[in-house]
Amino acid sequence: MARDLDRESAALLVEALSKTYADGTRALDVLDLRIPAGCFFGLLGPNGAGKTTLIGAAAGLVRAAPSRIFVFGHDAVTDPRSRLLIGLAPQEVHLDRFLTARDVLIYHGRYFGMGKLEAGHRADELLDVFDLGAKLNTRSNRLSGGMRRRLLIARALVHEPRLVILDEPTAGVDTEQRYELWSYLRRLHTEGLTVLLTTHYIEEAEALCERVAFICRGRIAAEGMPAELVSRFGGERLEDAYLEALRT
Amino acid sequence: MIEADLRVIQRRAAVALASREVHRVLSLWTQTIAPHVVTAVLFLAVFGAALDSRRREIEGLDYLSFMLPGLLVLTTVGAAVANASTSLYQAKSEGYIEDVLTSPLRPWQIVSGYAAGSVVRAWVSAALVALAAAPFTTEVAHPLGAIAALAIAGFVFASLGVIVGIAAETYDQHAFVANLLVTPLALLAGVFYSARALGEPWETLTRLDPLYYLVDATRYGFTGHNDAPVLISLGASAAAGIAVFGLAVALVGRGWRLKP
Repeated sequence: MARDLDRESAALLVEALSKTYADGTRALDVLDLRIPAGCFFGLLGPNGAGKTTLIGAAAGLVRAAPSRIFVFGHDAVTDPRSRLLIGLAPQEVHLDRFLTARDVLIYHGRYFGMGKLEAGHRADELLDVFDLGAKLNTRSNRLSGGMRRRLLIARALVHEPRLVILDEPTAGVDTEQRYELWSYLRRLHTEGLTVLLTTHYIEEAEALCERVAFICRGRIAAEGMPAELVSRFGGERLEDAYLEALRT
Repeated sequence: MIEADLRVIQRRAAVALASREVHRVLSLWTQTIAPHVVTAVLFLAVFGAALDSRRREIEGLDYLSFMLPGLLVLTTVGAAVANASTSLYQAKSEGYIEDVLTSPLRPWQIVSGYAAGSVVRAWVSAALVALAAAPFTTEVAHPLGAIAALAIAGFVFASLGVIVGIAAETYDQHAFVANLLVTPLALLAGVFYSARALGEPWETLTRLDPLYYLVDATRYGFTGHNDAPVLISLGASAAAGIAVFGLAVALVGRGWRLKP
């Protein structure tokens, strides 16, 4: 009973999750993680630490064992309801090149059960927010890199998920737009959205995240509020704590 | 959320995927529909019109009427395999299949969505070929039989196309099935000749070809002439279709070659 309540109160709960790829690479090694509902959570780690595998397993892009990952209490592997609660903006920008920017958002909304009209209104709203209104009828493969990245983030938000996972969302986005995106994410977060952010910009995690986890070799090396991690590992900034945690 | 709400959401999602696939077929009609129609009409023109004056009849039918049902099956089969396999392979290789894989769609709904585009492409192409040939052929003898045979052909090979799209890891592998499986099956299916008129081993090879029975059943629908029992041909083809569809669903469910 207490275990069920714990699962439901967490936006994302990962219990002893391991993942070994066909080539023998052990990407996740009995990993445990709990992201409280409503939290702005940062996941930091070097390349190959297991961030993208963890995110992929939660969102249904990577095969994983059942009863190890729970999204607001729903098993991410066996219960399709978990998919409705997650919005994912992956690290690599993959957009349907046969569709216009607006249609990318509309089809995504419809894949998540929205009606055509409802998805259209939501698409227009997000195109405005992400400054893509002038490109609504442009095919996704004709957009610039920054625009494609913004469209990908907009796509993650179309179906109004409760947990949005952003894997390196500001890579390739210019500084001005990065600050605009930060401000938009902060606003969504104050409205109750749980955000899981992976980034290589530690100042980004420091500026946005209430809690942070360091992931290394498929395990969580440390987790806590940025100030806690700085005091636990020493140094003056989160970057110092991060480097120290990975060393130990 | 109650189970009924989830079912409504999944149904809407499946319709969306099917409509995306149909949208792709219709918006790229010069690549998806026109080549099948042009090829089939050229076959009709060359073999039907040019040779008809020399070979008056096969199995008591004029050559164009004999050949048309088989050409419609070839058009249906070729278009159905090509569509699902290409669309799925593109979505996989370019990565945007993640939009579908992260959705609440069930595996059978994903397969059905991709198959829907295939079936529309196949039937629209076949209908256009039939329309082009209509002025030169006689009345359709058993319309329901013809429709059933072409429907089953579309279903079987759309499902096969989904499997090809899942299995292919390179463009060459994707083309391999069309070139080395579907084309030989099509050429040995008795489209252009009567199995009974052939010597061995060609007659036996033709009768071993599963497409032969779809061609024969379609020919029955159009002309009333058949070689094998029609109901058995249709029943066995439908059973094969269900098996192929089931395999496609199982592969999507396991995430084979879709998820690492």
